[in-house]
Amino acid sequence: MFGDRHLIVVDLGFGDAGKGATVDWLCSPAAGLDVAAVVRFNGGAQAAHNVIAGGRHHTFRQFGSGTLSRVPTLLSRHMLVEPLALAAEARELAALGVADPLSLLSVDERALLSTPIHGAANRCREDTRGTARHGSCGIGIGETARYALDHDAPRVGDCRRPDVLRRKLIALAEHYAPVLAGGRHRYDPIDALMQAYTAFARAVAILPGDQLAGFARAGRLVFEGAQGVLLDEWRGTHPYTTWSTVEPRNARAMLARIGEPGYVLGVTRAYLTRHGAGPFPTEDPDLTIPERHNETGEYQGGFRRGHLDPLLLRYAVDACDGIDGLAVNHLDAVDAGNEIRTATAYLTADGCVDRLRLGPWQDLDHQRSLTDLLAHATPALTALPADLPGYLEAELGAPVVLTGHGPDRADRRIRIPAEA
Amino acid sequence: MGYGRWDDSAYDAARTFRAAEGLDDFGYTADLRSVPWEQWKAHPALDPFGVGVRESRDSADHGNSLPIAVLFDVTGSMGRVPRIMQEKLATLHGLLQRKGYADDPQILFGAIGDADSDRVPLQVGQFESDNRMDEQLRLILLEGGGGGQKSESYELAAYFIARHTATDAWDKRGRKGNLFIVGDELNKKRLSARHVRDVIGDDVGSDIKVDSIYRELSDRWQVHYILPNQSSYYRDPEIAEHWQGLLGERFLRLDDPGAVCELIALTIGIAEDRVDLGAGLADLRDIGSDSEADAVGKALAPLGGVRRGRSVGALPATTGVDDVDL
Repeated sequence: MFGDRHLIVVDLGFGDAGKGATVDWLCSPAAGLDVAAVVRFNGGAQAAHNVIAGGRHHTFRQFGSGTLSRVPTLLSRHMLVEPLALAAEARELAALGVADPLSLLSVDERALLSTPIHGAANRCREDTRGTARHGSCGIGIGETARYALDHDAPRVGDCRRPDVLRRKLIALAEHYAPVLAGGRHRYDPIDALMQAYTAFARAVAILPGDQLAGFARAGRLVFEGAQGVLLDEWRGTHPYTTWSTVEPRNARAMLARIGEPGYVLGVTRAYLTRHGAGPFPTEDPDLTIPERHNETGEYQGGFRRGHLDPLLLRYAVDACDGIDGLAVNHLDAVDAGNEIRTATAYLTADGCVDRLRLGPWQDLDHQRSLTDLLAHATPALTALPADLPGYLEAELGAPVVLTGHGPDRADRRIRIPAEA
Repeated sequence: MGYGRWDDSAYDAARTFRAAEGLDDFGYTADLRSVPWEQWKAHPALDPFGVGVRESRDSADHGNSLPIAVLFDVTGSMGRVPRIMQEKLATLHGLLQRKGYADDPQILFGAIGDADSDRVPLQVGQFESDNRMDEQLRLILLEGGGGGQKSESYELAAYFIARHTATDAWDKRGRKGNLFIVGDELNKKRLSARHVRDVIGDDVGSDIKVDSIYRELSDRWQVHYILPNQSSYYRDPEIAEHWQGLLGERFLRLDDPGAVCELIALTIGIAEDRVDLGAGLADLRDIGSDSEADAVGKALAPLGGVRRGRSVGALPATTGVDDVDL
């Protein structure tokens, strides 16, 4: 089905579509795909990829979602690495029976270090935004990315150079002192952070430069995206976005550098969800589909549900510069007789819209106008067609190769698309 | 000492990474395994010899410092307790601070052995309020000796805390600190002047009565003795009688040695009048310490109704003069 290609798994919605369950399945022995490593190519510890396999459940944050099958993880230079959360996740995985999980981990030394200082600053800022919150997770991903734009920010490699790291942490703390002064959030003393980060550098493989080719020699790579394309920093519903390139551009570039082919697998649910603020045209509070692992977050607010929206998904496919295949999850919610419908167009002040235009890359004015349009759009909804995969194939122009009918690894099925 | 702020996430992370690297949590003890026993000595940071005072002081960050001293018997099977403590340090601090049992706890760790037979009969760290207390704990030498005569040098430790600590809690606010001795045997018959000279370096001319030194200690410290259930002495009436005679209801029997952190946290919460026994046990269950809550509930049942500041020790206040045993 995928040939010799490496796989890039991206969420076409606002996140929570089931990337983790998809990656777990791709890495499982049953799939037989010979996966050598999972590569994280965006985001950081705010990811929450739920995997359930044979009674074991884990919410993957930085470890790749193939870890239950002992597939190693490479945190690439595009990741924002949070070692304290990594340690906590390693303990959770060990409790699930994964022996010595930290030995499965490699980190690119150029990756930015996300610290509790960033996290505290993030929460202090969100507190002052009041009702205008961005829907942040409160971990400090945005602060990490923003600070690094114009400062000599701490990076993973610095954990091996205590003098450099201490200097950078002190500069970071001084930079954020005014933000934190009025707030209620604190962070660990720098000495404690130094202790943890130097232990981190001794316990985890920190790799110089591009080591991707070495991983690829061992077998197939699965690039696990975080968040969803509709939250992409340049393509998402600005300003309700993440400071991260969610669409597959960076993953594709990494593969291009080692001269190997990739297959982009877009992931969606049979309906749409959004966790956090921002426009959501098909949102419907009457949809009461149960959600096992997504709860109300202090900074994200409640978990939002809406009808299927091929317009937004089509836009996400365009933002990905096309995809090669689709995975459709949560089909059991449709079978369970929930009143899920699908949008055929938006009714707006400017008339009927049935396609969202992709603007020039990095044109935030365009993105803001998209946000305005979505915020004031009323979707025209119709019943879901019986053959949902077939319908999505026609709407999105890519074959559905994988379907999910429940939360467990065993609920995933390969779908061989009909020849055109 | 005692600056900074504790955070269990950095602490837990460092511990996790150390474990992945194969490092022992008690690194100093591990290091000494390759050294002949005759050359064992306390780590300089914990050596009580020649120490003036260990201080618990207020600072800009910690305006209401509350000194807590935890001294473990590290002989024989008791060596397990510091390991439990090390695993659960974050839990202890989490309870003290997040649940508001104490505003600015400053914790000193120490270890007690047998001055008649051990190389290192006493170790005493500093009062720390942040991750440095973890470092202190890791520097404790778990000698594991003891003489098999049903007594350890608790009285030597009591002497050190009585004479060689200074706290703002007492000096500025007249508030006693909390001392916890975790052990399973008796005091030596007397506080030996020779032990004091050899181990602490004070020029003491004659032996001192044990109840006299505990009386002096009780002036500035609420003294608790925790007897965890892990040796035959747990049911030994002589042990209970001895400690109840000295400390009254502050002799605490603990069914589950794994609950020692929780017991200390709740005892402080109750002593500080921040929580009553019922609410404290509910807090323990909140953080998933269910079996620990059961053990702590039993251990603290006699203390449940005690109010802040009221001494329940069996000893009357000291007269200020050494009760010298001639």
